[in-house]
Amino acid sequence: MDLSLNDTQQLIQDSARDFVRGACDRDALLKLDRNPAGMMDGIWRQMSELGWTGMAIPEGYGGTGNSMTDVAVLFEELGTGPVPGPLFSSAVLCARILLEAANESTKRAWLPKIASGDRVFALALTEAQYGWSADSVRLKAKKDGKDFLLTGTKVFVYDALYASDFLVAARIDGVADVSLFRVDAKAAGVAVRTLDGFLTGLCEVTLEGVRAAGADQIGEPGAAWKALERATLAVVPVLCAYKVGGCRMVFDMSVNYARERTQFGQIIGRFQRVQDHIIHIVNYLDAARWTTYEALWKLDSGADAAASTHVAKSVASESYMRACDFAHEVHAGIGVVREYGLTLHTKMSRSLYHCLGAPKVHRKRLESVLELVPG
Amino acid sequence: MNFAIEDSPEQSAFRAEVREFLARNLPANLEHSVDPCDMSYEQYQLRRDFGRSLGAQGWLYPSMPKEYGGGDLSAEKVAILYDELSRIGLALPPYYDAGGRMSAPTILVWGTPEHKERFLPPICRGEVRTWQLLTEPSAGSDLAGIKTTAIRDGDVYVVNGQKMFVGSSHGADYSWTIVVTDPKGERHKNLSWLMIPMDLPGITVQPMDLLATGGEGGSGSGVKNAVFFDNVRVPADHLIGGENNGWRVATTHLEVEHGGTGRLSDRRVIYEFIELCRERHDGHAIADDPAARAELVELYIDAEITRLFALRNHWLAHTGQPRSYEGAQYSLRRKLSGLDISEKMLRIAGPCVLTHDKRWGPLKGTIEYFQRDAITALHPGATTDIQRVVIARRIGIGGREREKAGALK
Repeated sequence: MDLSLNDTQQLIQDSARDFVRGACDRDALLKLDRNPAGMMDGIWRQMSELGWTGMAIPEGYGGTGNSMTDVAVLFEELGTGPVPGPLFSSAVLCARILLEAANESTKRAWLPKIASGDRVFALALTEAQYGWSADSVRLKAKKDGKDFLLTGTKVFVYDALYASDFLVAARIDGVADVSLFRVDAKAAGVAVRTLDGFLTGLCEVTLEGVRAAGADQIGEPGAAWKALERATLAVVPVLCAYKVGGCRMVFDMSVNYARERTQFGQIIGRFQRVQDHIIHIVNYLDAARWTTYEALWKLDSGADAAASTHVAKSVASESYMRACDFAHEVHAGIGVVREYGLTLHTKMSRSLYHCLGAPKVHRKRLESVLELVPG
Repeated sequence: MNFAIEDSPEQSAFRAEVREFLARNLPANLEHSVDPCDMSYEQYQLRRDFGRSLGAQGWLYPSMPKEYGGGDLSAEKVAILYDELSRIGLALPPYYDAGGRMSAPTILVWGTPEHKERFLPPICRGEVRTWQLLTEPSAGSDLAGIKTTAIRDGDVYVVNGQKMFVGSSHGADYSWTIVVTDPKGERHKNLSWLMIPMDLPGITVQPMDLLATGGEGGSGSGVKNAVFFDNVRVPADHLIGGENNGWRVATTHLEVEHGGTGRLSDRRVIYEFIELCRERHDGHAIADDPAARAELVELYIDAEITRLFALRNHWLAHTGQPRSYEGAQYSLRRKLSGLDISEKMLRIAGPCVLTHDKRWGPLKGTIEYFQRDAITALHPGATTDIQRVVIARRIGIGGREREKAGALK
């Protein structure tokens, strides 16, 4: 047994730490929070140059074919920012979906462009009847000669603002089950609108008779859902690692604040009530960390990772949100001053809570994996 | 025992009177912004006008004595008034007046007859708006650790220092402010309260950028500010409750702020959310999901307990019953259950609760604001930790004498 990072992973960790401390320090992230479109000006180019856009893509398709644990180490560091943006959506999630669902020529057409960072993919799956299951997909694809015309609204789409291409889950007329299309974000009839509020990176994507060529239909008609499920299950632990990074940062912030802030003539870390909040945070952090990293190890070593993945997503989503809550208890007033930076995490913990299925979705699926469901 | 707010012919008649009053006096063009930061100056002025008409009836501060512009109303009548206003989305006062809400009961206990004559009627009639200035950069939970000084110089106190997380949008006439009047004095014996006119030279107000601003109860404040005092000369007769007696005066102030009087119009958003989950769109309702229903039931139970704690405190305060830990208990519960409920909403309804988008944000963005507000509300009027300390002291655990609740008239 060895639960430490290997040399490659330590190098990844170091370069990601430098990046978060440099290009994505608190001031940069606050600026990005006020102007999300600013992401593409510089940060994305740097990420591509560092090779991060190709890490989860096999060498044969222009990537570096790193292990999922390698990728997760990077995302844990990005989570400490939290660095927003489409790296996960494009270079991990959509890349994996193409690997699972697309034919060879489609993979060759798009994966190298994702790996180089030239194209940015986002998954447009969820709709008004919100959910991460096949029956939530209602968007219509109407056959028109060899093409398809797509009409409908996707909402709470992550990172759509940055996307050059969407992978759109839809239902073809007369075909049971879900199909998948690549849609150019600049195609006529596509409209993207950022949603405002206590969230980061979530958008509405409207498709109004958007033409998709036959070649842009990914995989066999009506056969996309299984591939989508396999792909999401395989990348969920990477998303969890991002949340682990978030937990780690709110833990560090809370510990530092409890060491520095004095009230009643002593540092507040001496008060048991304050200690209790921080103990909650460290317990959430470690629960998220070890459930996540075991799931990653199983993925990389070819073991069945389903149960561990469902556990990790249930734990990490809940942990990040609750760790932020307790960090606010420790910080009180200063924690809600936006320029302090804690609220970036609070907002991110809520924004990602439902991404790729909320804890209740994964708990439900764990019931099946554990064979608890009768019949 | 009777939990009903209206039960006698006299009270039904009062409700009819309130409704008739509202029909006559409520400004027609009143708009409600979900985030109080979005309330315009014109809308604020409409609320001030409406406050003055309430004040003329003694209904702006209905529990205060008539001789100072209050209404001397019974607990039941005050509850009716709150209830009728909350139906139209207003609290009492119908604008942020935390300094008035906290100082009026405090001046009633600690002020001289002259102070009462001078300061209470303008508050109760709605002629002035008052902020409360307590928190400082180095004094949050540790209120007694404030650094802002007020040094006597002839017939004025010269005030220097900084307050933060205070006030509202659109300014104030007065600030009810705790200061250090004896910098060399013993802790807890060096504080005083000043009613500071905000038009004095040397006062600078700087807005803060916060996640949300609620949490003190009553009407939302809009922005919170940092307030700087630079040699501000405050007339000495604006010191209330005696020089260096401020800690004792603060116990009354904090009793009110910590929920000792109960608040009845709280948390309509929770019941509206349950309503929302029952609504059917395209044949689908959120409550169709058994897991969502189970969480909704928990949420409802949670909200009921909070409501009943508030109701109990209201009854205790307005019937002059002895109180001990109840104010802090309600405040603690409101904070923790508010946060928990906000997270249940996220679980139940999905990411729509995070947006105030016109198309996708439920209840015109009210739920999104509640998500932010539930986090922000953890600290104003004392953190959950401080509320726990107060409860423990008042119950009398840990070998202490039972601490008494702050005096209210």
